[in-house]
Amino acid sequence: MEWNIATLEELKDILWRCTACGNCKAAYNYGPPPEFGEICPAGAEFGFEGFMASKGKIAFARGILDGQLEWTDELLDAIYKCTVCAGCQNQCELDHKPFIPEIIEAMRRKAVQDGIGPMPTQKKIAQSMRSYNNPYQGPRRVRTDWTRPFKKAKKPIKDINKEPADILYYVGCTGAFNLPARGVPVATASLFQKLGLDFGILGENEICCGSTAMRIGDAEEFKRVAQSNLETFRMLHEERGVKTIVTSCAGCYRAIKKDYILSSEYDKMMDGIQVVHTVDLLNTLFKEGKLKFTGELPMKVTYHDPCHTGRHLTKFVIDKEGSQLWKGAYVGLNDEDCLYDVPREILRAIPGIELVEMERIRDNSYCCGGGGGVMTGYGDWAAKNASKRIEEGMQTGAEHMVSICPFCHYNLNEGSRRISSEMKLYDLVELLDQVISETDKA
Amino acid sequence: MLAKREDMILDELVSIVGKDNATAAKHIRYAYSYDLSFVKPKLPDYVVMATTVEQIQSIFRLANRDKIPVVPYTAGSNIGGLCIPEHGGILLDLKRMNKIIRIDTESHYAVIEPGVSHAQLAMELYKHNLRWSWPVGPPSASVSSNALCHGIGGMSGRYGLNSEEITSMEVVLPTGELVRVGSCAIQEDSWHSVLPLPQLDGLFKGWLGTSGVVTKMGVRVHPIPPILKVFTVSTRSIEDMTSYMVNLGNYEICDDLTAVSWWLSQVPIPYPYKPKPDAAPEWYCFGATNSWTQKEKEAREEIWQNVLDEEKKKGTSIEYADYPEEALKARTQLPSRIVGSTKNYTKMAGGGISWPGTFTPANKWAPVYNKWKEILIEHNLSPSVRATNYRGVHYGMLRAMIPFNKQSAEETENARHAIVECLKVDLDAGGIPYKPPVDFAAEINKRAHPGYLSLLKQVKKLLDPNDIMNTGKLGF
Repeated sequence: MEWNIATLEELKDILWRCTACGNCKAAYNYGPPPEFGEICPAGAEFGFEGFMASKGKIAFARGILDGQLEWTDELLDAIYKCTVCAGCQNQCELDHKPFIPEIIEAMRRKAVQDGIGPMPTQKKIAQSMRSYNNPYQGPRRVRTDWTRPFKKAKKPIKDINKEPADILYYVGCTGAFNLPARGVPVATASLFQKLGLDFGILGENEICCGSTAMRIGDAEEFKRVAQSNLETFRMLHEERGVKTIVTSCAGCYRAIKKDYILSSEYDKMMDGIQVVHTVDLLNTLFKEGKLKFTGELPMKVTYHDPCHTGRHLTKFVIDKEGSQLWKGAYVGLNDEDCLYDVPREILRAIPGIELVEMERIRDNSYCCGGGGGVMTGYGDWAAKNASKRIEEGMQTGAEHMVSICPFCHYNLNEGSRRISSEMKLYDLVELLDQVISETDKA
Repeated sequence: MLAKREDMILDELVSIVGKDNATAAKHIRYAYSYDLSFVKPKLPDYVVMATTVEQIQSIFRLANRDKIPVVPYTAGSNIGGLCIPEHGGILLDLKRMNKIIRIDTESHYAVIEPGVSHAQLAMELYKHNLRWSWPVGPPSASVSSNALCHGIGGMSGRYGLNSEEITSMEVVLPTGELVRVGSCAIQEDSWHSVLPLPQLDGLFKGWLGTSGVVTKMGVRVHPIPPILKVFTVSTRSIEDMTSYMVNLGNYEICDDLTAVSWWLSQVPIPYPYKPKPDAAPEWYCFGATNSWTQKEKEAREEIWQNVLDEEKKKGTSIEYADYPEEALKARTQLPSRIVGSTKNYTKMAGGGISWPGTFTPANKWAPVYNKWKEILIEHNLSPSVRATNYRGVHYGMLRAMIPFNKQSAEETENARHAIVECLKVDLDAGGIPYKPPVDFAAEINKRAHPGYLSLLKQVKKLLDPNDIMNTGKLGF
């Protein structure tokens, strides 16, 4: 299986299209009314231009490529402090726009290739991937611990290794191994059972999607697990009848939707299989009248857009043939894959819920601070950043924050704890599970 | 020895601003070593982020003691290489001093710190239905730096340069002394005007960051009238466009009266040069007006229609023209997404933009533009030129936005040559470049009255006896 993962050298022409204008440094809606906000977590925290948005990372990339910058611990540290949230990409209007996260990750890939990256704490991730097929150093058997309540309640979850099912619920390592985030797969499976969906899990045979490895520059490890997963997905389609892969993890969603397509075999392997996020599936059922609310949640909440279900999935129209502009030029974009409206529509539909918005939302959402390997590499700072987002949520008057990513789930709750806030981050499925009862079965 | 000495300076800087705000790390210095322009990258020796006035004073005392250059920096989005250190030294990043200290909604002024961006101020002012003369620049650019460098904005047709809107300033001199100019000099919290005092604010405006660091600035802000009307026309020559703009400018009804050549109206600017289609007009103009009432708008429309009729009677090529919607939005919704982000300047050109940006009165636009066109085309560059009236017709601007391929040293040098040639033409016609790179400053000084240069040097010496402040930027 061939992979089209660019090296930093291959991106050289593209990164020279940055003018260093600095448009990337702030989120700005032109209005009226005009709205301004900080957008770059590393830039806001560390301040120096090198840390700041795309402009800073492009400077590093140029310096590395033109031989002005040699690897040092400090340079490595600065490159790995980026959460790769794509906030800067969303502000940029130049032709390197579609490639900004790619350029940052290509620098990391070069660091790994040169034997210096990733950061020491992140090296444990790489080792864990090789030893355990997940970044949490979790033994295979632990991967199904979250299913115990279902077994106890005599509602076992179908093992797709043994039985066919329409839907593969691809749980993801964070939901399975990260204890505070385990509520996500539990609520997801509970909901699916209530809705009578024909779904199964890979259980102990599930392996990591590779997202974390890719984000920290370990392309080889990403390729290994991604290839294995693609082969598994093909097998599940052909032998178990799987037509839909559902993921409740934003990282898995992004990886399968956006990173896996870099494989030469993607179209062949994924033919007949659709990949959706849990909320997308639930929204479809809601629109079809198959998801009905019986309970009520009198709660004022605000919604946090994860980077990986939002702007990371923006599709860019690139005029490679030069028929519209010049070869390689960025022409436009669409956000049809970005889950901005769907979670909000579902939230608003829940009886009793009042949704109030933060200032920075949708494509201008402020990263929770946990992405790009930062949660592992710089745990304290990730939580500090998350506490800023929690404070922003508190300013809306909301009691709680809702999101659809187990990374945000963990990190924002850490951030809340850090500032002794009462605000708790719930995954949307955790709320839905409370207001949908067995009788709503489709 | 040098390494030890450098470490000692860094240690002192750290003791002033804290360890997280001072560095000599090369990768950080590298990120400050270049900008959009053709100016060659140069590294500072240290980068320091100050957060208080006292810290800036301490940094200058240290710099004076060891005669280390200090380069002030807010957003680094100027396109004259103004923040690129000519002789190394301390790069003083002011972005963290970004408080909007006051918005006076009665007397219509705001008091801001140097790191306040246009985006930040736009949001806060809008809450009070107030506006600033937003430039055609990135939202992240600094309000005070733009004003200090005689930047222009969407209300320069009416109020003049943004520097003319400064009301008061608090400044740290290169010696570390804290001074004030304008009304705040007499009363601590009074920031309404620079007059009737002697205009000492001139000591810090147009000096390219060589005379002091402005730590607080008062700026006039204005109400936002609800009705926007933009008059758009085209002509086939700069002469016809000038005639129209002078005529309309006399009535002083436009917040912004700007014309752009066909090449600048393209998104993106063609790079390298491509000929204009014969059928297309060579110049497009938009005059943005804002009115409080429908009748006021109609009165402006009447004036504009009369001007248009008069110009037609003269036999000029003037025509009413639809301005492309996207471009018009970019021109009237400032700071600008499209122009400000430079999307239209550098597509495929490879990240470089520079300009001969000049103050050139309208009666010199035609001879200068026609010569510029020859020079630029000769260098295979598009004559993407803008002309703007300031304060009615009192003075004007003429500039060319030149994209170039920064990856190629040859193409960069080609652009630099062309731009400097253009500049000489303008200087010889009586124009004056603004935000000038050192290449331009040298040309200005060559033509300067000896008395002017002498006074300039004397004042600089007075304010900055050790010549540490953005050393070399004035071209002497």
